[in-house]
Amino acid sequence: MLLTYKNYVKTLFIILMTLLVIATAYAYYFAKNYPLPITNRMSFDAKITFIKENIDIAKIDTIIVGSSIGLNNVQGLTLEQSSKKIQGVLNLSVYEATPTQIEQVLELSSVFPNLKRIIYSAQYSDFAYAGKLKEYDPVFIKAYLGDSLSLKEKLAFYFNSCKNVFFLIRREWNWGAKYMQANQFTYLGFDASGSVPLRIYGKDIIKHRWENPHSNKQSKHAYSALDRMSKRAKKEGVDFIFVMQPYRQPLYENYKHVKLVMRDFSNKTEKIMKKNGGSFVNLHKKLNLSDKYFADRSHLNYEGAVIGSKAIGEFVDSIN
Amino acid sequence: MLFNSYEFIFIFLPFTFFIYFYLNKKRLTEASKGFLVFASLFFYSWWNIAYLPLILVSMLFNYIIGNHLAKSDKHQKYYSSKSLLTVGIIFNLALLAYFKYSDFFISNVNVVLGSELPLLHLALPLAISFYTFQQIAYLVDSYRRETQEYDFLNYAVFVTFFPQLIAGPIVHHAEMMPQFAQAKNKVKNYRNIALGLFIFSIGLFKKVAIADSFAIWATQGFDVAQQLNMLEAWITSLSYTFQLYFDFSGYTDMAIGIALLFNIKLPINFNSPYKATSIQDFWRRWHITLSRFLKEYLYIPLGGNRKGNYRTYFNLFATFLLGGIWHGAGWTFVLWGALHGAALVIHRAWQRLGFRMNTLLAWFVTFNFINIAWVFFRAKEFDDAIKVLEGMFFGTLILPTPLSSKLTFLSSINVEFGKWSSLFGNEPEIILWLFAAFSVVLGLKNSMQARESFKPNLYYLSLTILFSLSIFILYRKSEFIYFNF
Repeated sequence: MLLTYKNYVKTLFIILMTLLVIATAYAYYFAKNYPLPITNRMSFDAKITFIKENIDIAKIDTIIVGSSIGLNNVQGLTLEQSSKKIQGVLNLSVYEATPTQIEQVLELSSVFPNLKRIIYSAQYSDFAYAGKLKEYDPVFIKAYLGDSLSLKEKLAFYFNSCKNVFFLIRREWNWGAKYMQANQFTYLGFDASGSVPLRIYGKDIIKHRWENPHSNKQSKHAYSALDRMSKRAKKEGVDFIFVMQPYRQPLYENYKHVKLVMRDFSNKTEKIMKKNGGSFVNLHKKLNLSDKYFADRSHLNYEGAVIGSKAIGEFVDSIN
Repeated sequence: MLFNSYEFIFIFLPFTFFIYFYLNKKRLTEASKGFLVFASLFFYSWWNIAYLPLILVSMLFNYIIGNHLAKSDKHQKYYSSKSLLTVGIIFNLALLAYFKYSDFFISNVNVVLGSELPLLHLALPLAISFYTFQQIAYLVDSYRRETQEYDFLNYAVFVTFFPQLIAGPIVHHAEMMPQFAQAKNKVKNYRNIALGLFIFSIGLFKKVAIADSFAIWATQGFDVAQQLNMLEAWITSLSYTFQLYFDFSGYTDMAIGIALLFNIKLPINFNSPYKATSIQDFWRRWHITLSRFLKEYLYIPLGGNRKGNYRTYFNLFATFLLGGIWHGAGWTFVLWGALHGAALVIHRAWQRLGFRMNTLLAWFVTFNFINIAWVFFRAKEFDDAIKVLEGMFFGTLILPTPLSSKLTFLSSINVEFGKWSSLFGNEPEIILWLFAAFSVVLGLKNSMQARESFKPNLYYLSLTILFSLSIFILYRKSEFIYFNF
């Protein structure tokens, strides 16, 4: 159907304006119900929203950092209950975070006025790469969490967060199916401390993640980041505790490269902790967990995470 | 102000459009031109008003010199036209050299002499490379008596017209001035509005949906990663190759579309450059208005191909070496220009010797050469370029873990098994993007070809709406790459 050019332009204008109104209404609905985009990492955005809505930052004296090995393997509530020293825990871990990204996340530590300790939970596979978080602005996030954004900044934030409507639609689409399923490694159902308990058993266990170990790749930049993080914590008078998490024992026994890289990882991280006045605990060696506590080669299920968290709590109490 | 920003799309552009045509409707022609110059300078100053005096001085100086050159007979008593032209060109180049190349020059002097001269850290005035070239062309043509006597307002519209001001296309006075003068261009033309919005929406989509997506991967590879495996390195270089094309051609489409709203036709700047089957063909399709300028005002004055083969080779090489330097003050740009210059020399010699190559192979060689050369163009330091090239040709190839049992023997030749890329999150998405980009640049009509077949029907209406949806993904607001040059 051929229109006159004038009608064509008018029709185009009306359709575009209508779309604009619909998009604005949808953005409002999204902002009320889902985590707004602050970084390019869903799990981090959800965590920031969670902290903003649920956490009294003045009560936090312990933060847990790491990748999923921190998010899933350390249960904040168990940690609080099992330690006399720990009063308030916040799990700040982000799925797939590398040590260099953890270093970026720890730029937020100054938000917590009563912070006494940082617990970094990791396994050797976390030290294979050293990427950085994109679209990450710690100054803004600190102001957002600390409620010190001006009205203009708040409006700009909501506008900027909501204007990518397609991104919001995709995020909502994924929310139920991907992020709210406790039997998936993308689960974001935080407990009161921000930890995520995995309920992956039996048929939900992914075979290749269970049977195949990680490669032995290690990044020197990841170790440098750990060195800087622990140095900075010491400088700020915060205890830095590095926890080497369990790995499936059969893989450790049967794959030579796993044994070698885990020994190397343990030695290097312990050395860094000693040098910078931090503490080190090897839960793999200490707990020797059986397969029933694992969700895959390195992730613990909820029961395994509870055992590990109790051990960390006891370890924290044992530090002078 | 960016074309891909809300303030431009929803405030600046509609206001400028309506006021301009309102003034014309009231037959206030000079006022409408004055308003367009004012709006363009406001658009220009949005980034940094400190740049404004420079463009005003440059414009005024070139206008005065150009006008004197155009009627130079009267002044020959005191100075020759040639010396006036020389003064004009030196002024323009000195301005460009001072703002763009001072620190590059000082840092090289420091390296060579072991001195510690302080750098000037001058902010590069936006668009200086573009309006300098445009005005040099005007001076040269005035010297050749190929210009008319324009009044200052007309000249100012020609230089500052905001769609082309920041990053081209590099327009020629002869193709712009008459358009501003035509009476029929002073009234709203719905055909041009419809077509302009269509082309603008294509450009917006290219920039926001495609170029900015590739930018993320290119930045990861060039600026964030410490080391790249083979696949990551190829993804990085190809991502930049596509980012640059969709970014710059997207910007050009937007500029052409906006200019059409004002009934002004800007020249074509891109014609499917990645379909090129030789390096010469590439430069006939890529940044066409720059190639035109370099040919008319550098290559031909150097002697072009009129002074024998070796001189032609030298002229080609020198033209592209200078073209490289024009793009940026850095040795990576010099090398990029030299690579293209050398490739053109080889191509010319190849043609002269009568050699031929299969078309598919010719495309493959050309595309890969361009892709590799862009690595130097993008890299901030030589080390970054080496990192990417090392990964592309000597990096570890990572194959999927399930293949490890069958292909273990490959471990001895730099092959590993596992996640193919942690840098890009092992997402197959990026591979699909690359395939899609190849399909678009090689298989589809380009936006200028699409313009030819435009009709006011539901098909083009739907396409315009579809591309306009890019407005909702302006989340990753980023500048256009060519703003830096």
